[in-house]
Amino acid sequence: MQTALQKAIELILSGDRELANILLVTARTCVSSSLISLLIGVPIGIWLGTGRFRGRQALVVIFRTLMGMPPVVCGLLMYMLFSGVGPFRRFKLLFTVTIMIIAQVVLITPLVIANLETYVSSVADTVRETARGLGFGRWKTLLLLSNECIYPIFSTYLLAFARSIAEVGAVSMVGGAIAWKTNVMTTAIMLYTNRGDFTLGIALGIILIAISLLVNIAVTVMQRRLSR
Amino acid sequence: MKLASCSKTYGRRTVLRCPALDFAPGRICALAGPNGSGKSTYARLAAGVLTPDGGGRVADETGVIRYMPQKSFPFRMSVEDNIRLFGGDEQRAEELMKALGLGGLRRQRARSLSGGETARMSLARVLMQPCDLLILDEPTAAMDMESAIAAEKLVDDYRKECGCAVLLVTHDLSQARRMADEALFFYQGELWESGAAETVLYRPEKEETRRFLEFYGGR
Repeated sequence: MQTALQKAIELILSGDRELANILLVTARTCVSSSLISLLIGVPIGIWLGTGRFRGRQALVVIFRTLMGMPPVVCGLLMYMLFSGVGPFRRFKLLFTVTIMIIAQVVLITPLVIANLETYVSSVADTVRETARGLGFGRWKTLLLLSNECIYPIFSTYLLAFARSIAEVGAVSMVGGAIAWKTNVMTTAIMLYTNRGDFTLGIALGIILIAISLLVNIAVTVMQRRLSR
Repeated sequence: MKLASCSKTYGRRTVLRCPALDFAPGRICALAGPNGSGKSTYARLAAGVLTPDGGGRVADETGVIRYMPQKSFPFRMSVEDNIRLFGGDEQRAEELMKALGLGGLRRQRARSLSGGETARMSLARVLMQPCDLLILDEPTAAMDMESAIAAEKLVDDYRKECGCAVLLVTHDLSQARRMADEALFFYQGELWESGAAETVLYRPEKEETRRFLEFYGGR
């Protein structure tokens, strides 16, 4: 463990170009996919949490089920859709960072929707009743409800980011873990471990956890400031 | 203010059946009854929060209704911002906060307030704008005696100032007797008795109303 820690520090201090590339691809993939999932998932989560329409419960069950979709299954679906025989082959996205982001968005968005829906549905009726009692219309009620969601949105983002940064099945399947192109931290750890280079694998793992810790601290600080 | 006859059914259970009622301006009408008698359901139907069986609205579209629910929501902002939601009049907010002893809590987050303080804030919030019908569902249930008396005075002043009708849902019989000009008694989802407060709350005709009055403080 001590060797791995030393190796991790050495890797960072040496300015290893391959490591820098892996970190860059990881950051691009994770930040993009978690933010896109948030942009798509938050409005749907609020809509589902406040909505009273036929089929709402069925949609909630579907999204909750999709939360547990195995990443390899998601990767396989994306592979089939974008491969040479798939309907989206003309986009030529297979083994690119873009398809890795798309796969992660598919994987993470249900998590964002289900998480937010749970919170919103727990407060929506009381917020709506209070707002209606004060004579506020639909838009002002929605504004008040959105204001209530700030804290849960941050928690949901952390969840989305954690799922994204720790994910390996989907990105390795559609990205192919190509060195200098689509290799992210998790696929790199797998690659080095398969080669028998456990120390480097553990070193990368430590760096991965450190990045996750930094992002968590940054988001928590923002969450606290905005929640005041 | 006229409210149409209405009913509310959940599944196969009809929880409320009520004839049309007329609330005279400047008068306070207490709505009393045991638990599950349909008081809050009626208040919510009147406020337009619930839709009656058959759809539509119970209240006349032209009248302005303000309603304070039993569980009024403290929004994620300061006490003052909660009262002045979407830019309410500063002077009016000041008067209300002073009358309800909220001056020292104005900068505090509404979520950190106690139950009684939240109720005071919610009452101040609903009294910010004038209206034709003010519906209050157990407004002082969480307040101590001193705050409850201050709240009663404030509601009375508000009703005199804007000439609105007040529908006061309450379990507190002494409060109903202090404040109400008229009274309604609900029992098992039906309007059991209605009329002048001194009749319904002191000399009711029905046995159920008498039992309720005896249980909640006698004559």
